[in-house]
Amino acid sequence: MTASIKMKTRDLDFYYGDFLALKKISISFVANQVTALIGPSGCGKSTYIRCLNRMNDLIPGVKVEGEIALDECDIYSQEMEVIELRRRVGMVFQKPNPFPKSIYENVAYAPRIHGLARKGSEMDELVEGSLQKAGLWDEVGYRLTHPATSLSGGQQQRLCIARALAMEPEVLLMDEPASALDPIATQKIEELIHELKNRLTIIIVTHNMQQAARVSDSTAFFYMGELVEIDGTDKIFTRPEKKQTEEYITGRFG
Amino acid sequence: MESQLHQEINRLEQEVMKMFTMTEEALETSITALLDRQDEPAQQVIDGDDAINQLEVKIEELILHIVARWQPVARDLRFILGCSKVANELERLGDQATNIAERALMLNQRPKLKMMVTVRSLSEVVLDMYQKSITAFSSLDCDTAAEVCRLDNKADVLNVKIIRELIDYMGTDNRIIERPVHTIIVSNSLERVGDLSTNIAEEVFFIIQGINVKHSTWFDSPDQNRPCSKE
Repeated sequence: MTASIKMKTRDLDFYYGDFLALKKISISFVANQVTALIGPSGCGKSTYIRCLNRMNDLIPGVKVEGEIALDECDIYSQEMEVIELRRRVGMVFQKPNPFPKSIYENVAYAPRIHGLARKGSEMDELVEGSLQKAGLWDEVGYRLTHPATSLSGGQQQRLCIARALAMEPEVLLMDEPASALDPIATQKIEELIHELKNRLTIIIVTHNMQQAARVSDSTAFFYMGELVEIDGTDKIFTRPEKKQTEEYITGRFG
Repeated sequence: MESQLHQEINRLEQEVMKMFTMTEEALETSITALLDRQDEPAQQVIDGDDAINQLEVKIEELILHIVARWQPVARDLRFILGCSKVANELERLGDQATNIAERALMLNQRPKLKMMVTVRSLSEVVLDMYQKSITAFSSLDCDTAAEVCRLDNKADVLNVKIIRELIDYMGTDNRIIERPVHTIIVSNSLERVGDLSTNIAEEVFFIIQGINVKHSTWFDSPDQNRPCSKE
């Protein structure tokens, strides 16, 4: 049985003005798998992940060439509205960024705008379900009206994940989601990633190679805007094909 | 600047090379004691085995420390795991040297058997295998490792030949069984030296290429495709 491809890029070039930041990147993301993107700062991994839900479009002077497809549908085609794309391809950032609202409102905000829950009881269910999927319900279920900013950093990050999950995305992009968290909060996020991959496809950028080794099924190594190697995580961390990959993950780089 | 991890890995390599040297000395000395019928070197080998055992423990502790602190990956991980297994094989090689030395002490008190000519041949083959396994490990050289694996058949054939000769000899007179029995034990110990050297060579393949060549038939025929060295 062949694995189904949820999202892919083919020969993706990305320019900041004249600067070619990504060169011919072709990756297929298998549904319900976690793919980790690793590489030194400035290698293009964050730029790449932000291409996948057109977050880079907000930056003036950028240009995208090549193909980016979600379920075989070009994300720049007329059939794919950017708002719908971002609903289907959610994103969690490095620093937890809850809205200055209550815990409940943080999760309910986007579904309300998109009309996902019509009745109050439906919204309550959606909020509870999202918080449960994010592993946060037991900690905040009794204080949903409290301000989100009163939560710890790790809880805030899981709230941001719950907020993303409330839109029932099919792909979740995570840009260094645990880099600002302590080891316990990091472990919770990693366990959550493991749980969530049953529901959706996850693409995670991380500087922490042990984290990539722990959470992902596949790992892609980027260097200077190029995809050097992508393979199963077990293979990358035991016997990578490319010398550059080996030098990077064993700390012999540069 | 070399990272702390790589400094520790260098230290590990030095300790493993030290263990290789100690074991080589024990093997050579035990074989000299046997073939040249000398008691003193045999006793030296028996007395020196504990130092080899202690070094194995030290290497295992160092490996535990490196893995716990740095969580090495890729070739670093393969090298460290390889060192752990190599140290284990070296400890067993030290035990075989002790076995040979103990039999030498006994056989030196009795008249020399003519089959010792074949025992000498077997000794030369397995010492060559052991020394090649050191070269393969120290220079991470797949070609030399493959040579060790191929030589193992030669050692097996010589061992069988020695046992056959001794059985025939014992058939002539059942009062002379003692020396042949001890010589069979020596021959089996030498054959084990070949096996353990082969295990080390197989670890070299794992370290270099991350492939497991144990129990494979790659080395039985020189024409077959086998893993080869990469830069």
